[in-house]
Amino acid sequence: MTKTDKKSFNQSLAEWKLFIYNRTTGEFLGRTAKSWGLILLFYLVFYGFLAALFSFTMWAMLQTLNDEVPKYRDQIPSPGLMVFPKPVSALDFSFSLSDAESYQGYIDDLKKFLKPYGLEEQKNLTDCTNGTFFEQKGPEYTACQFPLALLEACSGVDDPTFGYQEGKPCILVKMNRSESTAFLSTYPSNGTIDLKYFPYYGKKLHGNYLQPLVAVQVGFGSDADVREVMVECKIDGSPNLKTQNDRDKFLGRVAFKITMHA
Amino acid sequence: MNRKREIYSVELSGTKDIEKTDKEDGKKSRGLKNKCLERKKNHQKEELKKELDLHDHKLSKEELETKYSTNIITGLSSAQAAELLAQHGPNSLTPPKETSEIIKFLKQMVGGFSILLWIGAILCWIAYGIQYSNDHASSLDNVYLGSVLALVVILTGVFAYYQEAKSTNIMSSFRKMIPQQALVIRDSEKKTIPADQLVVGDIVEIKGGDRVPADVRILSTQGCKVDNSSVTGESEPQARSCEFTHESPLETKNIAFFSTTCLEVSAPPVGTATGMVINTGDRTIIGQIASLASGVKDLKTPIAIEIEHFVHIVAGVAVSIGVIFFIIAVSMKYYVLDSIIFLIGIIVANVPEGLLATVTVTLSLTAKRMAKKNCLVKNLEAVETLGSTSIICSDKTGTLTQNRMTVAHLWFDHQIFVADTSENQSNQVFDQSSATWASLSRIITLCNRAEFRPGQESVPIMKKIVVGDASETALLKFSEVMLGNVMDIRKRNRKVAEIPFNSTNKFQLSIHETEDPDDKRFLVVMKGAPERVLEKCSTIMVNGQEQPLDRSTAEAFHTAYMELGGIGERVLGFCHLYLPTDEFPETYSFDVDAVNFPTSNFCFVGLLSMIDPPRSTVPDAVTKCRSAGIKVIMVTGDHPITAKAIAKSVGIISANSETVEDIAKRLNLPVEQVNKQDAKAAVVTGMELKDMSPEQLDELLANHSEIVFARTSPQQKLIIVEGCQRQDAVVAVTGDGVNDSPALKKADIGIAMGIAGSDAAKNAADMVLLDDNFASIVTGVEEGRLIFDNLKKTIAYTLTKNIAELCPFLIYIIAGLPLPIGTITILFIDLGTDIIPSIALAYEKAESDIMNRKPRHKKKDRLVNAPLALYSYLHIGLMQALGAFVTYFTVYAQQGFLPSAILHLRVEWENDNVNDLEDSYGQEWTRFQRKYLEWTGYTAFFVSIMIQQIADLIIRKTRRNSIFQQGLFRNKVIWVGIASQIIIALILSYGLGTIQALNFTMLRPQYWFVAVPHAVLIWVYDEVRKFFIRLFPGSWWDKNMYY
Repeated sequence: MTKTDKKSFNQSLAEWKLFIYNRTTGEFLGRTAKSWGLILLFYLVFYGFLAALFSFTMWAMLQTLNDEVPKYRDQIPSPGLMVFPKPVSALDFSFSLSDAESYQGYIDDLKKFLKPYGLEEQKNLTDCTNGTFFEQKGPEYTACQFPLALLEACSGVDDPTFGYQEGKPCILVKMNRSESTAFLSTYPSNGTIDLKYFPYYGKKLHGNYLQPLVAVQVGFGSDADVREVMVECKIDGSPNLKTQNDRDKFLGRVAFKITMHA
Repeated sequence: MNRKREIYSVELSGTKDIEKTDKEDGKKSRGLKNKCLERKKNHQKEELKKELDLHDHKLSKEELETKYSTNIITGLSSAQAAELLAQHGPNSLTPPKETSEIIKFLKQMVGGFSILLWIGAILCWIAYGIQYSNDHASSLDNVYLGSVLALVVILTGVFAYYQEAKSTNIMSSFRKMIPQQALVIRDSEKKTIPADQLVVGDIVEIKGGDRVPADVRILSTQGCKVDNSSVTGESEPQARSCEFTHESPLETKNIAFFSTTCLEVSAPPVGTATGMVINTGDRTIIGQIASLASGVKDLKTPIAIEIEHFVHIVAGVAVSIGVIFFIIAVSMKYYVLDSIIFLIGIIVANVPEGLLATVTVTLSLTAKRMAKKNCLVKNLEAVETLGSTSIICSDKTGTLTQNRMTVAHLWFDHQIFVADTSENQSNQVFDQSSATWASLSRIITLCNRAEFRPGQESVPIMKKIVVGDASETALLKFSEVMLGNVMDIRKRNRKVAEIPFNSTNKFQLSIHETEDPDDKRFLVVMKGAPERVLEKCSTIMVNGQEQPLDRSTAEAFHTAYMELGGIGERVLGFCHLYLPTDEFPETYSFDVDAVNFPTSNFCFVGLLSMIDPPRSTVPDAVTKCRSAGIKVIMVTGDHPITAKAIAKSVGIISANSETVEDIAKRLNLPVEQVNKQDAKAAVVTGMELKDMSPEQLDELLANHSEIVFARTSPQQKLIIVEGCQRQDAVVAVTGDGVNDSPALKKADIGIAMGIAGSDAAKNAADMVLLDDNFASIVTGVEEGRLIFDNLKKTIAYTLTKNIAELCPFLIYIIAGLPLPIGTITILFIDLGTDIIPSIALAYEKAESDIMNRKPRHKKKDRLVNAPLALYSYLHIGLMQALGAFVTYFTVYAQQGFLPSAILHLRVEWENDNVNDLEDSYGQEWTRFQRKYLEWTGYTAFFVSIMIQQIADLIIRKTRRNSIFQQGLFRNKVIWVGIASQIIIALILSYGLGTIQALNFTMLRPQYWFVAVPHAVLIWVYDEVRKFFIRLFPGSWWDKNMYY
């Protein structure tokens, strides 16, 4: 039994050798040099053609697109809500009061994020009327001013540590940019986003657009060592914007947790 | 231990084995057990060859009574019988051991690609396990995917199992037969009981025409004859009596074997043969032969080998691409867990999940089609085996011939006339105006004891049942066709006396009154062996006139006799004599024992020859086989001359080819001096075969294209089959006897005869010919070849989209695009839209005459060859992938993500914490919004593949011809397939688009058409390919592009 096995192994080895290079026919891996040349040439031409065809189709497809507005906006009818700064893990802010290092990152992030909201940067922007949509016809589109002062204690003007040092951390809540047009009026006095910041006309036309922000400042009492709070922000007062979607936890709402150690 | 071994060697009593045992002494005892088992098997075989340990034939009746504690007169008592029945089991052959249903089911569960999918499923669950241990809130997606994969395996497995079971059921329903009855004496009473209730010691009575119900020792009978052809291969009836005549139980006359037929028992007073049952069920000789057949190992069918080959290729591609990209992914710093998920995706994309089920359906469709054409396939895979058959070893009687004697030639007035031997004999055109014919036909009609069984007035003549032997039946039917109502003629010519045929006289004679009322003479008519009949004649009738029988007429007679005998026909001579009224007045009383009438000086009228003629469809079928490159070998127990004559008349030996003997005769040389290479044909007898070494047989099979084996025993069939298989041929064998079953098992495809076949033969065969007709085999071959071609098309069709499913994963890993198509979506293509179209290809008609090409070479013409794989994967598959990607990019770009924006976006895209991902227009997307867009991408990709698969389906209709040559609408099922694809896709997108677990969304209508130009391109490209193949046959293009 083993004898025949060995023989067949040797045989197959010889067959493989012959397959890799056959001296008599000059075949390498089952093809002669000419055959290899032809097949490679064929694939070169064929794939070259396919690549050209693909590039052309893609180019043609891109030509049909509008530079300014996406062709369809049906997939993001309602904007999501997002917070700033972005914590490292999920939506779980955690820092230690005594350790400046632990919240320095948040402060840097906020500073960076609020830089476009500085007085200098907003000089050219329009001071819009409160309470109505700021609809524009183009071709020039300007953005509404969002004075940092609106964020009061969280503006970083008075307190460059955004309240983190005092144990009253600021979190900014922003509404995702989406080119939706419908937004309704009435707001509660606190944490409102004014209609005048809508609509958004897209990156290209509306490059200097400033997303309206709402700041949330959390104040902790001073008795406990570890203080935790769950905050949920929701777009309210607009029946057109969805806030209840089982699958999308960020559609018109955002929930986050802040944990502060002494 | 040692002692035991010795016992074995003693039992075997072969010196060789003792030597072996001695050598083994030093070896470990572990091997001993196996050896012992092997020995036992060998021992069994040996025993059978030694012709059984049966001595009952040597015993006297009294000894038998004691041995079986029975009584010849009163039989067993019911109680005894019941006890013996419980002890030995019923008197029936155990059907061959079937694989248990659970094993069959499990085989379906792990066979083919299932293993790969199981691995995928398990990897999914492992991945979830790891995720779960890290984060208890991790999503259940992987669990679902794993479960879906497992479900896919189970469902396809159940389906394949169900298909198999269904086709086996056809067979088992066929197997059901009317239970056989036996007349037995028990408790001193004659009873009719089912034959399987018989036990040893039972006293049974057998009538002519009965099947012998068990191995029986004959106790009393007279003139009993049995047909032992199924045991010994001899086709002549064997006499049975109660005398012990031979040492061997197979040769002695006082034993009749189970399942042989008792042909006749001479007339009363006895009328029946009485015997004692000495062996029942599997212990009968037939039972032992049948169990020998089950020892012959089943070969893998060619299509099973091909499918295995194909599975290996695809699995090889899947695993190697999977592993390569796993390594790439890991080295690109992907998490191992993610890499595992990629691996699963690649496997799922690469494995054509639905294909094996499709193949099963396709095969069973063909099996059904073949069943309609009288080929009943027991094993689905045998459907294709028939198509790759390169040698058919066919029986003669009943398969090539009609299995009934028929008048073929007549000789009278010094002339040979040809009679119509077709199935209905309606076209008898020979000259019937001669007065000699009138006389001859009268003799044929009157000198005949055969009669139609009454009550068959409405049955066509050829189908009427006749009581009488084969020759007399032939003559009766012949005269009925020629003259009309024979019974009436006989009534008008009343028979007054007769001498029946016997082997010493070799003639048959009867005396009649004539129907002519004015002619009071008696007419004596005689038929028999021509030379015997001629001896009794002094005159011969020519053109109605009696002439003296001179030398030249005798010569003419001999020439005609030799000519007819030389073509293998059974020749009979006919003569008559009118008795003078003066010597034999009307009242004369004839005495056949005293022979008080003349039996010489007759007038010779003519000769008539009979043959079992070929079926009318057979010559055509043999020609078809020949042009299809299939060698037809005739294997028969018949006389070489008859065999050769039939072989010539059906074309197995073609008109212009000669055997060595023919050449020798023509050149007037001794046979030894003829160059064997010159002879195309060969007629080999069993005796010659017996003396041949395997090498000589190989040489014979290789050098002669037309071979007839005559006078062979069924056992020699096995030798012939093995010889053919050594030539690398796929061998089909027909058979009907029990002794054929080893050959049927050994053959690549064993074909049993449905009408004449024994159960053992049907059990051993892969296929049953319901009409016993050779021509049905040829239609089967045609179907088998067609299915091979169509399976190629199905596989090419199915493999193509694998690339379009695989590329997304590769691009996803390398370029970090959001995943273009999900695993579940892929399953919906493989098991949804693609299923009906791939089955539809089974209905495709042949592109050209498939019976005009050589049978495929087992090792060279593979089902899936390199051009097929390359063309499907690297040409059409890639084009499909491109088309689908265009749709994908279009969907993303029109929603805000330009192609440049989604490159390497994967990590952020899939990050659950990023809920403000910015697109090319500055819009920000939450994770779920992105997911929904991703699903829209899946749907778009899915639809694009589906649209291009329609083009793929149409191009796969042909491999060489243009679609327009084949006809777009000839195969309607293709259009059903296309409709099903579109409908399933519409339902998935618009009907189930709201069920998020399925990952389908409502797709904008225009996205359905993005890939249409690509589909058209695929079709144009393939037409160009086929055009060049047709234009330059044999060219580089043909070799590389024709699959």
